[in-house]
Amino acid sequence: MISKLRFVWLAGIPLSIGVISGVAATPITPLKKPIVQAQRKIDFNREIRPILSESCWKCHGPDEAINAKTGGVRLDSFAGATKVVDGMAPIAPKNSKDSLLVQRVSEKEAALRMPPVDSGLKALTSEQIALLKQWIDQGAEYRAHWAFVAPKVVALPKVKDENWIRNPIDRFVLSKLEQEGLKPESEANPRVLIRRVALTLTGLPPTVQEIQKYVQDSAPGAYVRMVDRYLASPFYGQNQARFWLDAVRYGDTHGLHIDNERAIYPYRDWVVRAANEDLPFDKFTLWQFAGDLMPNPTLEMKIATAYIRMNVTTNEGGAIEEEVLTKNTFDRVDTTSTVYLGLTAGCAKCHDHKFDPISQKDYYGLFAFFNSTKDAPLDGNLFAPEPAIKAPNPAQLKSLADYQNKLALLASQVKIDEAKSWIATNRVAQPAVSKWEVSQAFPGKNFDEIYDTEYSPEKQGATDVIWKPLALELDKNILVVLREVACAYVRGTISLDANAKVTFRLGSDDAIKMWIDGKLSHANKAQRGVDQATDTVDVELTAGSHDVLFKIINNGGPDGLRVGIGDQRSLRIDTTFRRVQAGEGEDQLREVFLELGPDSKSGKEYKDVKKKQVDLDAQIPLCLVAEELPKPRQAYVLRRGEYDLRTTPVGRSIPTVFGKLPSDAPKDRLGFAQWLVAKNNPLVSRVFVNRIWQQHFGIGLVETAEDFGNQGEWPSHPELLDYLAVKFVKEGWSMKKLNKLILSSAAFRQATTSSVEKRTKDPKNRLIWRGPRFRLDAEVLRDQALYVSGLLNIADSGKGFKPYQPTGIWEALGFLESNTSRYVQDKGSEIYRRSLYLFWKRTSPHPMMLSFDAPMRESCSVRRSRTNTPLQALVTMNEPTFVESARVFAERLLKFKADDKVRLAKLFEICLSRPASDSELNILQKSLAFYQKDFQRPGVSFDILAAGDSKLDPTLPKPKLAAYTMIVSTLFNTDEFLTQH
Amino acid sequence: MNPIREHDLLMTRRQLFGKSALGIGTVALHQLLRGAGIGASMFAGLDAFGQGGSQGKRHGGLPGLPNFTPKAKRVIVLFMNGGPSQMDLWDYKPKMNDEYDKDLPEHIRNGQRLTTMTSGQARFPICPSRYKFEKHDNGGDGVWVSELLPHTSAMVKELCVVKSMWTEAINHDPAVTYIQTGSQLPGRPSMGAWVSYGLGSMNEDLPAYVVLHSKVTSGKVDQALFSRLWGTGFLPSEHQGVALRSSGDPVLYLNDPHGVDRKTRRQMLDDLAKLNNNQLNEFGDPEIAARISQYEMAYRMQTSVPDLMDTSKEPDSIFEMYGKPSREAGTFAANCLLARRLAERGVSYIQIWHRGWDQHGNLTGDLPSQCMDVDQACAALLKDLKQKGMLDDTLVVWGGEFGRTVYCQGPLTRENYGRDHHPRAFTMWMAGGGVKPGTVYGQTDDYGYNIVDKEGNVINPSVDEVTPGAVHIHDLNATILHQLGVDHTKLTYRYQGRDFRITDVHGHVIKDLIQ
Repeated sequence: MISKLRFVWLAGIPLSIGVISGVAATPITPLKKPIVQAQRKIDFNREIRPILSESCWKCHGPDEAINAKTGGVRLDSFAGATKVVDGMAPIAPKNSKDSLLVQRVSEKEAALRMPPVDSGLKALTSEQIALLKQWIDQGAEYRAHWAFVAPKVVALPKVKDENWIRNPIDRFVLSKLEQEGLKPESEANPRVLIRRVALTLTGLPPTVQEIQKYVQDSAPGAYVRMVDRYLASPFYGQNQARFWLDAVRYGDTHGLHIDNERAIYPYRDWVVRAANEDLPFDKFTLWQFAGDLMPNPTLEMKIATAYIRMNVTTNEGGAIEEEVLTKNTFDRVDTTSTVYLGLTAGCAKCHDHKFDPISQKDYYGLFAFFNSTKDAPLDGNLFAPEPAIKAPNPAQLKSLADYQNKLALLASQVKIDEAKSWIATNRVAQPAVSKWEVSQAFPGKNFDEIYDTEYSPEKQGATDVIWKPLALELDKNILVVLREVACAYVRGTISLDANAKVTFRLGSDDAIKMWIDGKLSHANKAQRGVDQATDTVDVELTAGSHDVLFKIINNGGPDGLRVGIGDQRSLRIDTTFRRVQAGEGEDQLREVFLELGPDSKSGKEYKDVKKKQVDLDAQIPLCLVAEELPKPRQAYVLRRGEYDLRTTPVGRSIPTVFGKLPSDAPKDRLGFAQWLVAKNNPLVSRVFVNRIWQQHFGIGLVETAEDFGNQGEWPSHPELLDYLAVKFVKEGWSMKKLNKLILSSAAFRQATTSSVEKRTKDPKNRLIWRGPRFRLDAEVLRDQALYVSGLLNIADSGKGFKPYQPTGIWEALGFLESNTSRYVQDKGSEIYRRSLYLFWKRTSPHPMMLSFDAPMRESCSVRRSRTNTPLQALVTMNEPTFVESARVFAERLLKFKADDKVRLAKLFEICLSRPASDSELNILQKSLAFYQKDFQRPGVSFDILAAGDSKLDPTLPKPKLAAYTMIVSTLFNTDEFLTQH
Repeated sequence: MNPIREHDLLMTRRQLFGKSALGIGTVALHQLLRGAGIGASMFAGLDAFGQGGSQGKRHGGLPGLPNFTPKAKRVIVLFMNGGPSQMDLWDYKPKMNDEYDKDLPEHIRNGQRLTTMTSGQARFPICPSRYKFEKHDNGGDGVWVSELLPHTSAMVKELCVVKSMWTEAINHDPAVTYIQTGSQLPGRPSMGAWVSYGLGSMNEDLPAYVVLHSKVTSGKVDQALFSRLWGTGFLPSEHQGVALRSSGDPVLYLNDPHGVDRKTRRQMLDDLAKLNNNQLNEFGDPEIAARISQYEMAYRMQTSVPDLMDTSKEPDSIFEMYGKPSREAGTFAANCLLARRLAERGVSYIQIWHRGWDQHGNLTGDLPSQCMDVDQACAALLKDLKQKGMLDDTLVVWGGEFGRTVYCQGPLTRENYGRDHHPRAFTMWMAGGGVKPGTVYGQTDDYGYNIVDKEGNVINPSVDEVTPGAVHIHDLNATILHQLGVDHTKLTYRYQGRDFRITDVHGHVIKDLIQ
């Protein structure tokens, strides 16, 4: 009685904290309702855990803070549940009658019943209560959540129909189907199969030649050979990369506020290469998390660390650095947790996780791995906020090496004595510049005021200036002020052997003033970028030393200074001469001799190669990378996740439920990544193979690909998931092998026909009684139309491109100062590149992508929704890429010497990978005639032929071309074209 | 009847369609689709049983919603992006005239964090508004309104002015993301997307959630917007706000190329239906039937949207009421008129964005122009809804993501000044849709800095519980949903094992604001 009263009181506590489950929750329904049978052993994980997690653990679970308020009763462990409180335990093993839990959940009176009415949780059903009772009577055995226990391979299930089995996957699938009394569908026909394999592996349909090759290959193993061909295609990596880029929220802009462009696409290209080269997933992981911390990191390893930098960043005026650092780190932890662990760790940033054993302390233990990289929390709105590296692709690397070798060879052939005598006679003394220094920044109210104010460096004898050495190279841009609205000063000494006129060439961002020996010799109140203009200032100087002082006044955004003195050629010759005089710089002399010396064949060759080298070097992209601070920042548990509410300091650690990092493991991102890909990590391999399965079947074995925790969905085939996970690791984390295994199964090769009975029983095909069937992704739809029409540009890397986009979309949103506030479409073949290479502005991705469910890439996404809307119909009917592709295809058809029927048959086969039936051909033929007549209306417009930039062949008859364009467009809009099936 | 066919008839509508199309000539297919009410809601809930037929009934949406009888059928949000200065518009602080250029007392600031734009300022000089305020009869205690809003001030009998709005965010991107999605970080669905998801659509030919962007006369649009503000986050993308555009296609890719007329398109869609129907018969995938119906809806949209956008038949008196700019497509005034037309057609959530309200400096140079852009049109929208009998069930909400400081940012003169962001107290107003007309809710101290109770004691509101007198942005969203008949704690979506909602784990319906 006493405990009853206590519970009554507890039931009255308003649940202001926590998530309230409501009518709209998508219920997690087991595939099949467990049937309560007296003899059957109840499976805790599958049957009991969901009940406890959904209905009890929100208050009586791992969240200690809430738990304390609810009487300390915990139902998430055997020890907790059997603890006697006030004479009665929630669970008395083997005695459901004396178990308080059973009494409380079956209470007739709503006010006494658990869960409390005001919790928003539903009362248990009689079926659930019966299950609980039965489980308690069987001993109330708790088992660890399946996903937290390392996967084990069980014996392959026995099946009745051995003939259906192609590989072990099929045993798991078929045994389940047989249990459910379902038969798989028969194998799809070869044309369907090759289309399915080509699309799922490469994101492009098969060509007619590819189809022929496969269909005509009658030797055993033809299917697997066909799969191998697509796995070896360079298109494979491009398609595989798409899924990864969604997960890591890849974008070409910072993602917040001004949303400027950022330097990161070499990472995207690396992901493509890694997939094509089948870089094992463990290495793929280690490099991304900690390429910089590996011994002797290669260029590729460094590029991979852009993963760490992928979080959205800001430089909004007024932003507080510590707050932004905290948010950036949250983003890194939450993404890592979803992508690798399938866990919603983010819940634990404010309080202990309510459903999964991740405490708030655990969360900040993870946080501590990611809060200590060198990048400044505020991105400065810069294109390449440090650290960033030059990231040539393999082709560029090779060219650079070739040029370098050639230059070295030519230099080595220079006769050094000849060069020495040449320089001695050609040298003219130039002013020498001593070490440069920079002052602190002087902020002020506004640009005008700062420009006019005489700060200390301008005054004689000021002592409050902090001068620091500055690595100023002549004719190179440097950053000086590093504040939004402020100025700073740069000073140096210039010495001359004789009186001379010296020419200064100055670039600045924004305004600049220059004093020589305290006398103002130049002022330009410009507001400009540093490369925008060069001020030329001639000054007569006497022999001896002179003080030079610059003031750089910045009016927001990045700043900069560039100083050049004299003419560059003379300066270079003189500098080299001085070095040679000092007994060094012979190599330099060889180069200078070839470049600036007397005309010669080798000199010309040297200059040509040098120019190529310089031009190529200028094209080499920058890439943001991660580097670790020498000393980590201290992390703290943050109350309610607020950056300024620090409580207990925490070190770097993995969540306690997974144990500890090995004592010899490095306590940094590398050690963390090693744990991710360690053999005993229960989650990483499962989570990844599940996503690959999802890619091919449209739905994962665990439908909630983002959540493998207690609230996640029970796997449709748990043993199959484990089998794949174990095999994946055992076979060296090879993504290609994994893909091949799945695609080689009979399960994957089924037709997608369906009967009412099967559809009724399992509408989502979770039991895999038919092959995969789902609408293709946005990128594939666009690429496919370009590909079949012959327009696709297969360039495989490089800067993101900007195709057709309706006017005003960026402009309606953009910040005027942003360099992505105006959309300027690219020209030429660029616009026909694969969608993977779209320039991805994260605050406004291409509307076609958004219409077809692509995520924004501001936050991590491992599963796209797949909707079916009229806006999508408008895209595939009228978006210029689709209309242009249809027209270009139509032009090709008209130039194809054949009659209409043959042309239409050809068109049909190219688009849909199969011959048209007579009735289908008939439909198209009739309509072709209709359109041809239709487009002969008086004064009819042919705008349909004007879409897109590619040139229209004026020799083709317009009504006929328009008619064919309509027919191609019709096929582009068929369900069969839009669907993976 | 064939037993299999009979079984089919008991199945979902989509499956029903899939088979019943078997024997029907495909030329009549589009009519069949329409009549059967298949996927009758075009953007929401293909799985749900649509009602078919006329506008006014809801299609799609979640079973069980609305939770109770709604007061408002639709919402129009007039969003002033950047943070309008409440001191110069609504929150009259006459005592500040005597405090000109004096320092903001430390006890008033009371530890409030500042943006780094002014946290480095040596002092925080008080900056009285240079605008005249007048008290207007609202049928109750009256309400003070600035001379910058002459038209809106004539409508105060309809308004529920909330002077005690507050938020935690102090910078634009997080603050506007917060008020629109319930989180300062990107990734969550927007308010309109939640409404579309929960309540479905009242018009089968238009989206449930429409977004309108407005031209800004001054051209000073110094804050950005983001697609996420009307995005769907983890909700299915069909619920994203659809932007109606003032130039080019009103809905992206809506218009067929010239030369492809209705008959041409019809022919193409009939072919498509035939080809798709073959597939449907062979594979029985209900998605194919859904696709056919989506193409038919696209076809209908191609006429219904231009009809919506065509204001040429509106009488001159209407244009006069909304003001001259209402004749120019894409202005705030034209968008207000369009909002009324959308509301008439049953669009549930209409959002008009107007940018340029971020007056860090030159406030008196820029604010009048901002007000000129919106004032008359806001008032006209209310009048128009009222004369059409729609104000009672249309909730109109006006405001920005935060307010502005009483102290000056940058140079201060009597004539001109600037103000930094102020999240701790700001003003919004609501009208219609069952909110209390002619009321003012909440008050601030003499500095407009803190929310205070009637006796003038500072209230330190908490997001965790109802704080009488203060309205958090979560409370606002909870109250808007309440007016739509939705319990904000029940409109949830499970993602990553958690039931998310627009108000996160917060939000309370502020009963004092509603009838």
